[in-house]
Amino acid sequence: MASKEKVLTKADYRSAILRSYYLQNAQNYGNMQGTGMLNSIWPQLRKIYKGDEDKFKQVATSNLEFYNTNPQPYPFVSTLMLAMYDSGQSEDDVRAVKMALMGPLAGIGDALSQFALAPLFSTIFASLALQGVIYAPLMFIACLIGVTFGVRCLMGYLGWKVGTSIIDTLSDKMQALTDIASMIGLTVIAGLSVSFVKVNLALQYSTVVKGKEQVVAVQTILDKIMPFMLPMLLTYFVYWLITKKKWTIYKIILLLLVLGIGLSAIGLLKP
Amino acid sequence: MTFTIWQALLVGLWAAFCFAGQIWGIYTNRALFIAFGVGLILGDLKTAVIFGATAELAFMGFGVGPGGSTPPNPLGPGIVGTIMAISMDKLSPGAALTLSYPFAIIVPFVITFIFTINSSSMETAKKAIMDGKYRKYKWLSNTTLYGFMLFAFIFGFAATESTSALRAFIKIIPQWLMNGLTVAGGLLPAVGFALILSTMVKKEYIPAIILGYVCVAYLQMPVIGLAFVGAVLAFNNYFNGKKSSNDSNNQGGNDGGIEDGI
Repeated sequence: MASKEKVLTKADYRSAILRSYYLQNAQNYGNMQGTGMLNSIWPQLRKIYKGDEDKFKQVATSNLEFYNTNPQPYPFVSTLMLAMYDSGQSEDDVRAVKMALMGPLAGIGDALSQFALAPLFSTIFASLALQGVIYAPLMFIACLIGVTFGVRCLMGYLGWKVGTSIIDTLSDKMQALTDIASMIGLTVIAGLSVSFVKVNLALQYSTVVKGKEQVVAVQTILDKIMPFMLPMLLTYFVYWLITKKKWTIYKIILLLLVLGIGLSAIGLLKP
Repeated sequence: MTFTIWQALLVGLWAAFCFAGQIWGIYTNRALFIAFGVGLILGDLKTAVIFGATAELAFMGFGVGPGGSTPPNPLGPGIVGTIMAISMDKLSPGAALTLSYPFAIIVPFVITFIFTINSSSMETAKKAIMDGKYRKYKWLSNTTLYGFMLFAFIFGFAATESTSALRAFIKIIPQWLMNGLTVAGGLLPAVGFALILSTMVKKEYIPAIILGYVCVAYLQMPVIGLAFVGAVLAFNNYFNGKKSSNDSNNQGGNDGGIEDGI
């Protein structure tokens, strides 16, 4: 089978990694990333099937089918596919590999980029910005683009270098990485959530201490018992609504809006 | 404060670039980054960055969307909220955040609309390639990107151009309601945090949550310190996890040996 002469160079694979940014350019509800997926390997396919226009059309259109994965580890798929096409392996095999990788890579990619890296950098740089570091947004974007570009290059390299057998150990390593990033992220997020969610009781009462009348704010007493108790309870309450009650975000936003305006109007909460 | 047409055009272009980042996966569509550019164009970087950070934290989990739903989009506060925060001196970041929620909620409808009208993408593209019209395919393979950029440009341009209308609208809001909006702006970040927690939390991570709370509530630790403390916990877990799995492997080996001996 692998009798075909290889035509793709390292530069072609590098270009395929960069073209992974085109993956979602045609995102739609019909074939999701399918239309853009073909575009991400277009020039390489043109090169492989140079001189056989019909074959090119057939392979190209076969890649228009439904595809949906996370764009960060996606270069693993594209370079692996190209390596297989280029060595003359059957289209069915390539398709099998492509489809087999879709789910696991989406899982790994979402866990790492959406749920671990993005929230981690987001909390760190947003809180730096609040402390007056005016260029924090630039550092934020530089870190995120830098790290995810690194992930794309590594994935593209691995896809080119090795076959499918590696995906098991790879997902183990990615799991460890995700665990570490998630744990750091959660520590930071848990810490900041209590101090950025603001719930201030406006209630106060007068009491007579040693013959003098004093005004005591209920909030001060609560803070002594347990600092940030109300923000924590509120965050847990919303968490409970999302996970147990399956409320939609829109419903929760509406509820908090009504609560905020209502409780402030009757003088229970203050800004 | 009024803005020139050039500023409106620039905000439109900035919005188009940032929103395209949602497609490219480069995170430029986060509130913090959008607000930074808007502040630079409109000449009040400090207010913009403070507001952007407030919105970023509130919208942190909103890239995710549980169960395939499209969540409110940070383009709303990033553009409209920042413009409001900059052009109105007395508006608190919390109130600006609350007021920009309706705009955050419009955006996902537009996204759904663009995805839907491109649904026949596969058939059209197939036909174009079979007919040898490769240029046409190239165009088709970027339609969603063009749609996103066009929408975001109009969104940014229109928002900047209607600053005085926005200001007039906000001026008629009575003080008690303004206070309520600020209070609501303080409550709303709970949604972002709860959303991100709901996707990340596993039983094993509970120590991290308690640790984070203690560091901030009792020790008033700054955020970088918090990240280091989290790293200590994470690496400790990682290496101990490795050790214990090695131990059980060794033990398994010994057991086998003894049995063999007997």
